[in-house]
Amino acid sequence: MTRIGLEIHCQLTKLASKLFCSCKAEYRNTTPNSNICPVCVGIPGSLPLLNKKAVEKAAMISLALGCTIPEKIGFFRKNYFYPDLPKNFQITQYNAYGPTSIGSDGKIEIEGKTIRIRRIQLEEDPGRLVYEGTSEKTMITLVDYNRAGTPLVEIVTEPDFETPKQVRVFLNVLADLVENIGVADPYLEGAMRVDGNISEGDGNRVEIKNVGSFRDVEKALHFEITRQQSLVERGITVLAETRHWDEARRITVSSRSKEDEQDYRYLPEADIPIVLIGNNSVEQIKTQMPESIVARRERYIKKYGMPAQVADVLSSDRFYSDLFDKSHNEKNAKEVSNIITTDLMGVADTREKKLELKITPKHVSELADAIMENKLTRNSGKSALHEMVKSGKSLADVMTSLDLGHVSDAGSIEKIIDEVFKEEEKAVAEAKQNPDTINYLVGKVMRKTKGKADPTTTLEILRKKLAG
Amino acid sequence: MNLGISATEFVSQVREGAISVEEFVAKTLERIEKVDGKIHAFITVDSQNALEKAKAIDKKIKSKEKTGICFGMPVSIKDNICTAGLKTTCASKMLENFVAPYDATVTSRLKSEDAIIIGKVNLDEFAMGSTTEHSNFGPTRNPWNTDYVPGGSSGGSGASVAALECLASLGSDTGGSVRSPASFCSVVGLKPTYGMISRYGLVSYANSIEQIGPIAKTVEDVAFLLNIISGHDVHDNTTAKNQNIDYVKDLKSGISGKKIGIISQMTGDGVDKEVASATNTAISKLQDLGAQCVSISLDAVEHSIAAYYTIAAAEASSNLSRYDNLRYGFDFGTEGYEFKAFISKARSNFGPEVIRRMLLGAFVLSAGYYGKYYLKAQKVRAMIKAQLDEAFKKVDYLISPTMPILPFKVGEKIDDPLKLYLTDINTVTANLSGIPAISVPFAMSSSGLPIGIQLFADSFKEKELLQAAYSLQETTNLPEMTL
Amino acid sequence: MVERKEIEHLADLVKVDLSEPEKYIKQVEQILNYFDSLDHVEFHSDDTLGIQIAKDDLRDDVYEPYGDSLIEHLKKDQNNFIRAPKMV
Repeated sequence: MTRIGLEIHCQLTKLASKLFCSCKAEYRNTTPNSNICPVCVGIPGSLPLLNKKAVEKAAMISLALGCTIPEKIGFFRKNYFYPDLPKNFQITQYNAYGPTSIGSDGKIEIEGKTIRIRRIQLEEDPGRLVYEGTSEKTMITLVDYNRAGTPLVEIVTEPDFETPKQVRVFLNVLADLVENIGVADPYLEGAMRVDGNISEGDGNRVEIKNVGSFRDVEKALHFEITRQQSLVERGITVLAETRHWDEARRITVSSRSKEDEQDYRYLPEADIPIVLIGNNSVEQIKTQMPESIVARRERYIKKYGMPAQVADVLSSDRFYSDLFDKSHNEKNAKEVSNIITTDLMGVADTREKKLELKITPKHVSELADAIMENKLTRNSGKSALHEMVKSGKSLADVMTSLDLGHVSDAGSIEKIIDEVFKEEEKAVAEAKQNPDTINYLVGKVMRKTKGKADPTTTLEILRKKLAG
Repeated sequence: MNLGISATEFVSQVREGAISVEEFVAKTLERIEKVDGKIHAFITVDSQNALEKAKAIDKKIKSKEKTGICFGMPVSIKDNICTAGLKTTCASKMLENFVAPYDATVTSRLKSEDAIIIGKVNLDEFAMGSTTEHSNFGPTRNPWNTDYVPGGSSGGSGASVAALECLASLGSDTGGSVRSPASFCSVVGLKPTYGMISRYGLVSYANSIEQIGPIAKTVEDVAFLLNIISGHDVHDNTTAKNQNIDYVKDLKSGISGKKIGIISQMTGDGVDKEVASATNTAISKLQDLGAQCVSISLDAVEHSIAAYYTIAAAEASSNLSRYDNLRYGFDFGTEGYEFKAFISKARSNFGPEVIRRMLLGAFVLSAGYYGKYYLKAQKVRAMIKAQLDEAFKKVDYLISPTMPILPFKVGEKIDDPLKLYLTDINTVTANLSGIPAISVPFAMSSSGLPIGIQLFADSFKEKELLQAAYSLQETTNLPEMTL
Repeated sequence: MVERKEIEHLADLVKVDLSEPEKYIKQVEQILNYFDSLDHVEFHSDDTLGIQIAKDDLRDDVYEPYGDSLIEHLKKDQNNFIRAPKMV
């Protein structure tokens, strides 16, 4: 049996400042070493000042993953030397001497399977190394500390996954979850990083590091499972080691570095006092938590009668469920959910594209009403939506400029039907014999009106004429 | 002009217009020029800036502008406390050119009260030692007899005050580093309660137990400095809130009716004869003033040295990791080196005592040993604190000699680190438990070497502690510095 | 017994080149033997000391740029980067 466990590093990208100082938490696209201060580059004499909101956000993740939050949390130093680590230790949390980490012993259900969460810890991100030079000889290492001290949580699971697919599903759910509770943008570059550990049967555990994206996690795990299974088949023992994912060659490679067998010499970080969280705070944080994905899904099904699949898709996407919640009313909820899940989600499926959308809840609500009141066909509605998304213009303006008004007066429709009857004698005859083929004629009418004819009226007149 | 006046006397004389700041500072700089070659208290002397500041303060006084309460008092600062624009070397090759980009909180509080930072003073490298011999820039010597050590690690602070090279100094006390030189140099030194004074800008050695502390000629001066430098600091989450106490007021309240516990573990075997006899004299003088003295046993003190050096070494090994010479440090390029080779070579420039403690620290924290050493040492701290809590239910103060031995000769104990560690037996208890302790100069040995008496009080009872120290000080009649 | 190999391992952990490891052997051994006295302490409690802070007294999450350009005080290499040695 394959057993897979994960360690997920998730940056708390919604914070304004770093974990232990007032530098900016968002370090991307800044001049090297411009977002630094004595604390985050470890100038002698500087002291860490823990960010209150980081503790609260980490507590939210812990609660969302069913973890227990202790009364008191503490910080430890993990000692190792590396140039991206300005103090040559990382301030993190550690449970070996009692549960002082922000969350422990949680669980989450994934497709009917329970994944246990061992621990959630709040810690600082190191800086960033940049390698310059073409050959090994001319290669130089440069360090940018803008990222040093960025707040992140490390989520450690028990080895409860059996397949890479379960891992992928879990990661998607987790990404939706952290986005939903407003603690992170999981799709920002480097905001969510995953290490895995795999063992086959009673075999040794292999750590997989350096996996750049979620998609690659699945690939790396597949590769590693195949590699281990083929070793086992040939009677070769799998070594306990750390392997790196080589993105270019799509294989895992043994790191063979002593750095991985380090003795981290953990010790309590005395510059940060023990933080009293207490029950009151936990209750308070609970009230600040947004509705969970599961609760929202239930609400959509119960209150609006959404099909389970639609409710699933909508509730797990914070951006679109917010849009739904802001744009619908009692009457148009179903239509709004249709517009969002069938049309809009197809238009903008990435974070960048979502940010570019110029659409507002008012647009969506008016569009739904117009469709329900037969002022627009679904088809025209789709065209209107595409235009609103691009330009941000009002529905009325878009309908005028694209000439999308509904043709619903019987007189105009009848004229067009007459034209169609002349052109399609054979089809008319067939429809008289077999009423099921009537849709062909409806289609013809729609094409002539560029989709603007009201389908109900069209059908009514067609039936009358065929019968008469 | 008399450089032997106290800081408090200096302030009143300047206010009265009896002396000018410029003149006093100029004379102080002359004094440093004259005697510091013999004692080597200073690493950096900031002459020009000190004189300019003095002139500016004189001008402020003349024009009746609001002047800070230090009135240009020349102060020295231990070279492990950051001073913007002035080197902070920690007496180490690793930081020989390091200029902190910011002021420590204590530095900026002193400056905002118009103290003049006249220079930075010597210490054992990164404050690891009790003799000030382990400095990359050479040892400091005791102004009372330059063949002898001044104590340490704040030896430069103690010696500079005793040798009249400044009116007061700030040191740091991790295991006795303010009180040891205070005792050996015949000046007053206070280790405040952990959390009373901001450590922001103090270069960490053992950050869970160390505090910055004032060193001066009199208890009044120490109280005066404490008023300025103590209190909550937003830059240090370990500082206590709600400290708003005037330590100078009611200093002379006396100790009549108070109870003092004599710590048996610190006054018995192993204490030098002359030190023991001075301690007995101090006790009887306090009794004469109306205090009641009883014997108190704190048996956890027996484990204090092992616990202290375990914790200090562990924290030191982590705190000193950042000195890899990449971001700051001495001149040594990375060209041609692989990472590990580079930093290991750069870091071999630490002195032997620092290296020894880092090795010990790595050992006690390494996998599998945490429970055997570090955790037990932490439990000893709690045990000591519990015994002190019991003791302070019965008595107001505790008393012992500050150092069990007299000052010794430079080089005498440098080759036997364990033996030297054991001489910290009377001082480390205050650090492990967090309580305040003060060393008051009390007597001179037959050979003319200073003996200090240590008083302890419960956490945040500095005001009461200073009252007792003042009472003890008033019973003494000590010689003037002749160097 | 502390051996040369052990001293070298510790020196590797704290990243210090020791030109003469044997200089440290005797003293480190002597001190560690002394530390072993902690094994004989009888504890009646597992308490440890440590100061505490209420969560609400922690720093508020506010971005304040560090006024000074700190990199100018550091060993700056090309394009404001810090230069590190070769990584293997």
